[in-house]
Parts: sequence; structure tokens; C-alpha cells
Amino acid sequence: MSIIEVNHLTKYYGKSRGIVDVSFNVEEGEIFGFIGPNGAGKSTTIRLFLSLIYPTKGEARIFGKDCITFGPEIRQEIGYLPSEVFYYEGMKVLDLLKYSASFYKKDCTQRMQELADLMELDLKRRISDLSYGNKKKVGIVQGLLHQPKLIVLDEPTAGLDPLMQHKFFNLIREENKRGATVFFSSHILGEVQRLCNRVAIIKEGSIIAIQDIKTLQKDNYKKIRVTADGLDEKRFQVEGVTELGKENGTVSLFYKGDINVLVQLIGSRKITDLTVEDLTLEEIFMHYYE
Amino acid sequence: MNIFLRELRSNLKSLLVWSGIVVLFSLVGFSKFSAFYENPELTAILDSMPPAVLSALSMNAFNLTTVTGFFGIMILYFSLILAIAAAMWGSDIISKEERDRTVEFSLTLPVTRARLVTAKTAAAAVNCLLLLLVTWGITLVSAQNYQPDSQFYSFVAISMLAFFLMQMIFLALGIFLGCAMKRHKRAGSLAVSILLGAYFVSILAGLSEDLGFLRYVSPFKYFDPVMMMRESRLEVTFVLLSVAIVALLLAGAYTAYARRDLYI
Repeated sequence: MSIIEVNHLTKYYGKSRGIVDVSFNVEEGEIFGFIGPNGAGKSTTIRLFLSLIYPTKGEARIFGKDCITFGPEIRQEIGYLPSEVFYYEGMKVLDLLKYSASFYKKDCTQRMQELADLMELDLKRRISDLSYGNKKKVGIVQGLLHQPKLIVLDEPTAGLDPLMQHKFFNLIREENKRGATVFFSSHILGEVQRLCNRVAIIKEGSIIAIQDIKTLQKDNYKKIRVTADGLDEKRFQVEGVTELGKENGTVSLFYKGDINVLVQLIGSRKITDLTVEDLTLEEIFMHYYE
Repeated sequence: MNIFLRELRSNLKSLLVWSGIVVLFSLVGFSKFSAFYENPELTAILDSMPPAVLSALSMNAFNLTTVTGFFGIMILYFSLILAIAAAMWGSDIISKEERDRTVEFSLTLPVTRARLVTAKTAAAAVNCLLLLLVTWGITLVSAQNYQPDSQFYSFVAISMLAFFLMQMIFLALGIFLGCAMKRHKRAGSLAVSILLGAYFVSILAGLSEDLGFLRYVSPFKYFDPVMMMRESRLEVTFVLLSVAIVALLLAGAYTAYARRDLYI
């Protein structure tokens, strides 16, 4: 079953573009990456899932139910961690978490304590006294204490130190093993690469690719560097070659297509060095955003 | 219930501040009254003032040398204070969620927007009621030195009912603006501006017979202090009008809030 179904979802804020005709599905048990730079429409999409805002056109369904009509019911099973967390400043952490837990139909006390211990969160402090990173930890505990079936993360690692990031990723993996589906929005490709099975790339409000992380890297461009005497880079101006350049006698290029064509282009020259690499997600990403 | 209780707790400080204002105003007011109390010279001075001025200050019908008459003057100021508190609480309790960006927390919980508005409206209404009780209490305490008669007590009681209706009108106005306005930062100031506008309309309405229709426009003119004092009752038409306005504003609030995008 698809946990999230998005059909032609479109959102305009007045005349300015939010997202345009976005469609994709997220399957049960997936960790689904959602990448794009700031302003591409990642948060808009998530806010539409949570019916904080309403679509101009199209619809989003979660657990098979319409996001707007069944919003409160769906949110029983969603854990959401926003990119910046804002809580009632005057409250103590424990009171805030208890308040949050009081909205769910199950008893969350034990899980709340476990998560707080794991994230090394001091429950006695006041929200207003917390640093950015500590607020984020409150967000993580608050988002997960009801053991949601769908976890929605919007640039979750900002503000967390590397150690906490590591713990957080392990936590997300555990939740995923337990059966939770994860929707992971980020502009940091490294973390998406580490965690996700599939990824959708959003650019200026539209989805430009949805692929497996592995195929995204494999069936995509190769990064090739050739060092040879008197090699003219112009001979590589064929279909499938991009990013062609030459520096210190080394020709570098991205290539997508039949690798034999390229081997013939290099021909029988005396080569001093040759490297063929898969692109990192970073480079693929940059390529999509040219 | 959890939202309601949390709101009550978070508004406690504001309630204390407003209670302080009411108590202070009442103490200052009654200490001035001690100069008027059973003072025949004052009556002579008031008689020499132009009727329009007296009417604007609603002083023409009240005998300022008795505590009952003095409270008749105080009604206007009490109702202003109570109405401003209600309007600000109403708009703030909704719009603060967007202002403080906590809406991304409070409305991603499994609640409907209607439930949030209901709980918040109830909490703000309780605040209004508590402030009203403070007003009632301090009025009775302050009056003790001036031999209040039974007419005074019933006058104060019926005035409290009038205050309550006025509070609810401006509370509902605040809630409506908080719910409906996209530019949530302006909800509070607009609510208070409308309130002050209504107050000036109420002054205009008192100046000339021709402007009598303005009585229907300004809630400050709905309940006539003279009638409340002499007959211990409110005009049914205006009670019904008040209830209708509250119902309309709240219905508008729910509808607008359910439909609009939240600003984060």
C-alpha cells in the first residue's frame, strides 16, 4: 500500500509559485528522500501533507485518506519534525512533551522517557532557555513519542552536532525497521544518500526525477578523466558528454551512454592516466540544477 | 480540555495585569469620589456646565454626590477597560500561534482547527469572566464607605451583565479578526481600533437626537446606564442584538479559520 499518494498537487501563494503539478507515491516501509535547494517547494509540500495550507489544485492522500478531510485522524499516526522548531516558550520541556502526548490515543510515557534518555534531553528545563540544538532534540522526542507510522522530517539535522546526528540517524533506521515509513526532506545529499532508498528531486516547484538511490548513481553519468599527450578535448564533443574541460593536460568530462563510444574516441593514444567514476549524489544533484 | 487549560495557564499573567489595572482604576476613581460625596457645591458646578458636555460624559442623569450616581459615571470607563481587554485577548489568543510560529506544532497535532478555536475561545471567555468578577468585587469593596443602598447593589449587578455582553462582543470580534486575517500581526491593533471607533460613535450618538440610529452601531450604547439604574433591566432588543453579533462573529471565525492557509 502507498503510504503517501500525491496527485498533481499544486500550490500557489497568490501569484507566487509554491509547487506545480507534483505527483509521486511513497510505499510502506520506505525511507523516501526529498531533495532540493531552499525555496524549491519542499516545506510547501510537507505543509500540504499536514493541511497547514490548502492546495490550489490536486490532492495528497496519506494512509489512503485525503489529507484535508481526514487531517486530524491521519495526524494521529504522523510524527513531524520541522526544520525549525517553535514551542510555547514558557513551558518546561516535560510539560510540553506531556501536553503533546495528551493528544494521542495511546500511552506515550515510556517511549517519551526512552527517547529523552537517548537524546540526552534535560526534561526540567524551560523551552525558552534551550539552545537551537536542544530545541531540535525536543522536536525529535515530540515527533516520535507516539510511535508514528509515518515520520515526516524537514531538514532535520540542522543544529545537531555530528554525534547527535549519528544517534538521530540510527533512531530513524530503528523506527524504519519497526515498520515506520519515513519522508525525509533535505538539501544535504550526503545524509539522504546514507539513509534513503528512493529519492525525488524537486526544482523550482516541480519534480524533475524520482529514482532509486542506487540507479541514480549507476545508470547515470560517469565522471571520466583522461590524461594523454596532445589530447584535444574537442574530439569529445559528442552526444552524451557534458561538463567538458581541460586542465594541465587532463581532459575531464561527464558521460552518459555507450561506454564503447568513448573508448573509441580515446583511441590508440598513449594514455598516462585514466579514471572512470560514478558521480556522487552531490554531482548528480548539481547537474540537475544547472 | 488540554488546550483550554494550557491557554488559561499561559494567560494568567495577562489576567493579573488587567486585574491590577481595574483595581487601580477603581481605587483612584473612588478616592476622587470621596471629594464629591454628599457635597452640595459639586451639584452647583455641574448645573452650570453645558448639557452637551455632560451628555458626552453621561453625567446628566446621575447624582454625583451618591455612590449609585457615581458608579453610573464609572460604567463607561469600566466598560472601556473590560472591552479592550476582551478584544486584545480574543485576537491574541488566536494570532499568537502564528506570530510565535507555534502553529506548526499546535496544528500538526491530531486536532481540528475548530477544536483549537473552541478551546481558545472558552479560555479567553473564562478570562473575561474572571476579570469581570474582579471588577464586581472591587466595586463592592470600594463602595462600602459610602452607605450603598439596595438600588446600588442591583444597579451594579445589572451593569455586570451588560459588561459581560459587551466583553463577549469584543472578544468575538478579536477571535474573528485573529482567525480571519491573513496579516495576523494586525489583528490586535485592528480589533482595538474598531473598539475605539465604536466608542466615538457612541459619543456621537449621544450628541443629537438625529443620530439616534447610531445606537445600533456602537455596543457602548446598547445598554443605557440610566435605565439600568432606574429599572434594573437591559433592553431585550439589544441583548438579542449582542447575542446575534457574537454568534455571527464566531461563525465567521470558524469558517474563515477552517479555510485559510496558516502563515508560518
